[in-house]
Amino acid sequence: MYQALFFLFAASAVGFAINLLIQRHPIHSALSLIGVMGSLASLYLMLGAEFLAVVQVIVYAGAVMVLFVFVIMLLNADKEEPSDRSKMAKYLGLPLLFLLLAMITVVIYRQFPEDAMVQFGDFPGQTAAIGRLLFRDFLLPFEVISILILIAIIGAIVLAKKEP
Amino acid sequence: MPNYYIQSYIPILMLLAVVILLAVGMLVASYLLGQHRPTREKLTAYECGITPTGDARHRFSVKFYLVAMLFILFDVEVIFLYPWAVIFKELGIFGFVEMLLFLVIVLAGFAYLWKKGALDWTKADSGGL
Amino acid sequence: MPPVTPVHYLFLSMALFTIGVIGVLTRRNVIIILISIELIFNAVNINLVAFSSQFASISGQTFAIFVIVAAAAEAAVGLGIIIALFRNKETVNADEIDLMKW
Repeated sequence: MYQALFFLFAASAVGFAINLLIQRHPIHSALSLIGVMGSLASLYLMLGAEFLAVVQVIVYAGAVMVLFVFVIMLLNADKEEPSDRSKMAKYLGLPLLFLLLAMITVVIYRQFPEDAMVQFGDFPGQTAAIGRLLFRDFLLPFEVISILILIAIIGAIVLAKKEP
Repeated sequence: MPNYYIQSYIPILMLLAVVILLAVGMLVASYLLGQHRPTREKLTAYECGITPTGDARHRFSVKFYLVAMLFILFDVEVIFLYPWAVIFKELGIFGFVEMLLFLVIVLAGFAYLWKKGALDWTKADSGGL
Repeated sequence: MPPVTPVHYLFLSMALFTIGVIGVLTRRNVIIILISIELIFNAVNINLVAFSSQFASISGQTFAIFVIVAAAAEAAVGLGIIIALFRNKETVNADEIDLMKW
């Protein structure tokens, strides 16, 4: 059951990601990214991270993607025409990609022998545990991230707002 | 292996399956069963019954971007407020003060957006960028 | 079927990360480049959550929340830059934005 669900959602995440890559119109790419986010939220849920799954849907699939879709509407961005790619990328790209994947595979298998199991435990009271960590141990990062948000908002408005 | 955790989400999985089946089934059924006699009038975009003017592909106002900004601001605020509210009692007055500090900093961004006119939607604007 | 191990999550993360990098390198539209960067953030997050579950420690999930908030800030500023660029250059193609190239 768990394995089947994992492969279902992992396959749908990778499928949506590949669709993101091959779509020509930015709005289709943005919608594919929402599919990836949804699949990953399901995987978070299966790992016992209920709060994070909800945050993923609310912040990522909600707010961030709304921002992307608004900007695509704003710029009225059309399909992109493929440029004439460089010859080197055409012939060397795929072999080098597989070389990279093979290298990462070797490293992963060297680091993690077979018997390491994910104990998808349901820690009871997860949100409370996150809160305890956030408001006691990670107090300074928590306050700093509010400044990060403030700077991001002000910077984005200064960049985007029309000069009178 | 605590399988009961996954099992508690099976109803949601079933709901998901039913929703997908229903949506796809309705499209397929209407494609297979319905009659197709397209006319020019039928193929125009539906705009509450009146004849559409222009097409939908024009540039939108930058106000939408400001509204999305407000959305992100309050979204981020709420994901930090929720775990705080869960353990509010055990944090005590210290937790209250640190959240107050967070809120003051984040709401400064809100005040800036407000001052920049993100909230007055009706103000005359030439549209576009 | 073999049990799901951290290796599975690492491979999923590797696939998403690689697809994101390919998107950043090959697409011309700057909006799609930003979308690919969001995909890379997600690939990192799935690792954090998987190992948080593996080690029964909640820190990984807390980091993931910080990553999500940082990604939201990044998207806001990045899209603001795209709007400012579009206003000046009337294009969203990365290879036409070459003012500082010679």
